[in-house]
Amino acid sequence: MVGAVSGGPLIRPDETLQGIGGTVTAIPLTHPGNRRWWIAFAGAASLLGLFLLTLGYLLVTGPGIWGNNNAVVWALDIASYDWWIGVASGSLLVSGILLLVGAEWRGAVNRVAETLALLATAAAGLYPIIHLGRPWFFFWNLPYPNTYDLWPQFRSPLLWDAIDIVSFLVICVSLWFIGLLPDLATLRDRAQVEAMRQADIKAPTRKLALLRAQVYGIVASGWRGSAAHWQIWVQAYRTVALLGVLLVVSVQTGASVMLAGSLMPGWHSTLVPVSFLVNAVYSGVGVTAVIVMLIRLVYGLDALVTARHLDVLGRLLLCLGCASAYCYAAEYFDTFLNGDAQARGVLARRMTGEYALVSWTAILGLVLPAQILWSRRARTAPLALAAVGLLVAIGAYADHVMVLVVTLTQDFLPSSRLPYGVDIWGIATFAGSIGLFLTLLLLFLRYLPAVSIVESRRLALTESPAVRDATHAAASRAAAARPEDNAASAPLWGVSASFASQGDLAAALQAVSGIRPDHVHLDGHGPVPMPRTLRALGLEGRSILPYALAGALLGGAGFFGMCLYATAYDYVFLIGGRPRLSWPSFVVPSISFAMMAGCVAIHLALLVLNRLPRLNHPAFNIPGFLRASDDRFFLTAEARDESFDAERIERRLAGLPAEAGRPLEIRRIPR
Amino acid sequence: MAQLFTPGADALYRLALMTGVACLVGLPVLAAGIVRSNYVTGVGVAPAQPLPFSHKHHAGELGVDCRYCHTTVEKEATAGIPPTHTCMTCHSQIWTGSDMLKPVRDSYAQDKPLEWKRLNKLPQYVYYNHSVHVTKGIGCSTCHGDVTSMQMTYRANAFEMQFCLDCHRAPEKYVRTPDQVWNMTWKPPADQASLGPKLVEQYHIRGGARLTECGICHR
Repeated sequence: MVGAVSGGPLIRPDETLQGIGGTVTAIPLTHPGNRRWWIAFAGAASLLGLFLLTLGYLLVTGPGIWGNNNAVVWALDIASYDWWIGVASGSLLVSGILLLVGAEWRGAVNRVAETLALLATAAAGLYPIIHLGRPWFFFWNLPYPNTYDLWPQFRSPLLWDAIDIVSFLVICVSLWFIGLLPDLATLRDRAQVEAMRQADIKAPTRKLALLRAQVYGIVASGWRGSAAHWQIWVQAYRTVALLGVLLVVSVQTGASVMLAGSLMPGWHSTLVPVSFLVNAVYSGVGVTAVIVMLIRLVYGLDALVTARHLDVLGRLLLCLGCASAYCYAAEYFDTFLNGDAQARGVLARRMTGEYALVSWTAILGLVLPAQILWSRRARTAPLALAAVGLLVAIGAYADHVMVLVVTLTQDFLPSSRLPYGVDIWGIATFAGSIGLFLTLLLLFLRYLPAVSIVESRRLALTESPAVRDATHAAASRAAAARPEDNAASAPLWGVSASFASQGDLAAALQAVSGIRPDHVHLDGHGPVPMPRTLRALGLEGRSILPYALAGALLGGAGFFGMCLYATAYDYVFLIGGRPRLSWPSFVVPSISFAMMAGCVAIHLALLVLNRLPRLNHPAFNIPGFLRASDDRFFLTAEARDESFDAERIERRLAGLPAEAGRPLEIRRIPR
Repeated sequence: MAQLFTPGADALYRLALMTGVACLVGLPVLAAGIVRSNYVTGVGVAPAQPLPFSHKHHAGELGVDCRYCHTTVEKEATAGIPPTHTCMTCHSQIWTGSDMLKPVRDSYAQDKPLEWKRLNKLPQYVYYNHSVHVTKGIGCSTCHGDVTSMQMTYRANAFEMQFCLDCHRAPEKYVRTPDQVWNMTWKPPADQASLGPKLVEQYHIRGGARLTECGICHR
C-alpha cells in the first residue's frame, strides 16, 4: 500500500519518540490557540442550542414541523440520518481498512477517522428516535420482555436498522477507545509530570493539575505499556477493526433495503445497496479529508500529516468518485434500457422536475469535483482536498434528499401524491445535529490526542533517522550501569532495568529468562508494541481471536435463534404472505449483533487477560517509569516468592555487552 | 516515582465499574418489575367507593345473578353499571333505614347517579365487546376473577395486552359450556383438553391466526 504512494516522507526525519509525544499531547495539555478554540466552540455550542430548541419544539408539536406529510413521510430527517450514518460508515471503513492492511502511515488519519465515525454515529443515532411520533417509546423497537406479549417484527429492515445502529455505536466507541488507550497513558504520564512540577513549586493550580492527571489515569485504566498488554492490544485493535468493516456492509445493507425492499418506484433496484455503500464511504472519506485538513491547519501538524497522506486521501477520493460515477451511470443505463415506465418516470422527474436543483447538486457534487484529483498538485494541496471533500459531502446529502423526496412525492396512486417543501425546522434540525457533532469534536480536540501517538511512533521507529540517533546517544551514555547498593531495606517487589530500545530489552529479557522462572515474573514495558520481547516472555501464540470468535458466534447464533423462535413459534403473524421460517431476513441483524457481541467479548478479554484496570501498581514505583510511555523500555523481574534472587538478576543484567542488552539503569523496587 | 493513585483507588474503581454493570442490568429489571407490580396495575387494590357495596354478599351469599344488575352483558359491548333504580328494587323494601345505604337513597331522591370508581379499564384504542365473549363461552371470572368472594371489589387481572393475547392465541384453554359461563368458581374440567377444541368448533370461534390479527381489537 505504501509502495504505491510516491514521493515525500511519511514523517519528518527529525521526529523522535519523545518529540511525537510532546507535539501531540501539547494540544490537550496546553491548549494552543485557545481563543480560536473558544470562538469555534461558541459557534458550535450555539448550533447545539438550536438543536435543543428544535428538539423541544419537535417533542411538543411532532414531526409535522419538518414539513413531512402523509405521502412524504421521510424527508430531511431520514436524509440526515442516512447521511450521518454514511459519513460514519465511510470513516470507520477508512480507519478499519488502513489498520487491517497495516498501512504504517495511518496514525495521522486513523484517530480523526475513528472519532468522526463515533461522533457521526452519535448524530445519526438520534434521528431514528426523534423522527418517531412518540420518541419516548423508541425502545418498543427493541426485543425486550414486554407486557404486550409482542416481539418486534424481525422481517422488517426498520428493525434491522435499530440493531445496526446500536451495534455500530458499540463498535465505534470500542475501536476509538482501544486505539486511544495507550495514548491516554502517555497523556496521563505527561500530565503527572506537569502535576509534580506544579506541586514542587507550589503553583496555585497544582490541585487542578493533579486532578487532570488522575482523570486521564482513570480513563487509561492503568495501562502500563507492558509487552503482554501490547500483544493483546494489537490483536484487539485489529479484530475490532475487522468487525467494524463487516458491520459497515451490514449497516448500509439495512439502510438501503429499507428503500429497496419497498415497492416504491425508483427504490427497488438491486444496485441500491451497492450505491449506498459507495456513496457512504465516499462521503465519509470526504468529511474525514475536510476535518484532517482543518486540524492540520489549526494545530500545525504538518510534521505528522504529510503531503503523502494528502496524496493517499486524494487518490482514495478519486477512486470512490469514479465508483460513484459508475453507480449513477449504471442506474441510468439499466433503467432506460430495461426498467419499467414508473422507474423511468422517477429518473426523468429527478432531472427535470420540481427537485431538479437537488438532483443536479447530488450528481455534480459527487461526480465532478473528484476529477481534479487526477492532478498530483491538486491532491497534495490541502485546500483543494478539503474543497473536494466538502463538495462530496454536500453532494451525498443532496443524493439522499433526491432519492427520498422525488419518489415519495409521486407514488403509484394519484390519490397519495402530495407536494413537499423543505421547512425551516428541517434545516434547523440538521444544522443542530452538525452543532452536536462539532461541539463533541471540539471537546475531543481539546482534551484528547488528535493524532495517534502510538502509530506515529511506530512509523518513526522504522522511518525516522532521528529516533535511531537518540537511541544510540542514550545507549552510549550509559557506559556502566551498576546495581544500587541500597540492598534490602524495604520488602522487595522486584528488579527493574531501563533500556533505550526494544532490541536491548529483548536481548536482556532473553538473558535473564533462564533464571529460575518459577520465582520470577518477567515483563517488558515500553511506548510501542514490542513483538520481539514475546519469545523471551513465553507469550508467543497467545491470541484474543478465540474470544472474539466465540463472542461473535454465540451472539450471532443467539440473535438468529431468537428471531426464529419469535417469528416461527412464539409470535406467529401472517405478514405479506411471508413464510413462518423466513430466515434470510434475519441474517442482516444477526450479523450486526454478532459483530457487537464479538466486540464486547474482545473488550472483556482485553481487560481480563491484561489484569486491567489496575490504577495503582508497583511498576509505577520504578524511578523514571513515566518514560515507559515516552522513549524508554523497562524490564521488570517481579519476585514471586521468598527465594527470589535479586542480586543474581542484577549481575546478569550488568554483565551484558553494550548495544546488546546492557541496561541504562538497574533498580530495586520496593513493594 | 510517585504513584498517581493510592491502592484504595483500585478498589473504588472496581466497585464503581461493578456498580455500573449492576445498574445496567438491575435498573431495567427494576423498571420491568415496577411496571408489572400491583402498585402500577392496581390488581388487588379495592378503592373506596361511594358506599361499601359487597359483591360477596349480593352475588355470593344471596345468589343474585350477574345479569340482574349488569343487564346488557349478553347484548351489548358494555356490561352496564346498574342505575340507582336497580338498587332500589330491593332497598326500597329492605334495609330502608340503614345509614350505610343513605347515599343510595340520596341518589334516588335527588336523581343524581352514584359515582362509582371504575376498576376495569381498557384504553380507547381497544375495541372490546362483552356480548361476544359471554355468548361464546368465556365466563365472567376468566377476566374479573371470583367476584363472589370479593367483600370490596378489586381488579383481579391487569388488562395488559399479554392477558388478552393469552386467550386469543389459545381460546380452547378457557372456553366453557354455556351453563358454566356464570359460574364464578369455574376451574377447567379434567377433560378441557378434549372438550375445549370441540366447544371452539361449536361456538364457531376462529382460533389463533384470526383472533390475533391486530384489527380484531384495534379497529
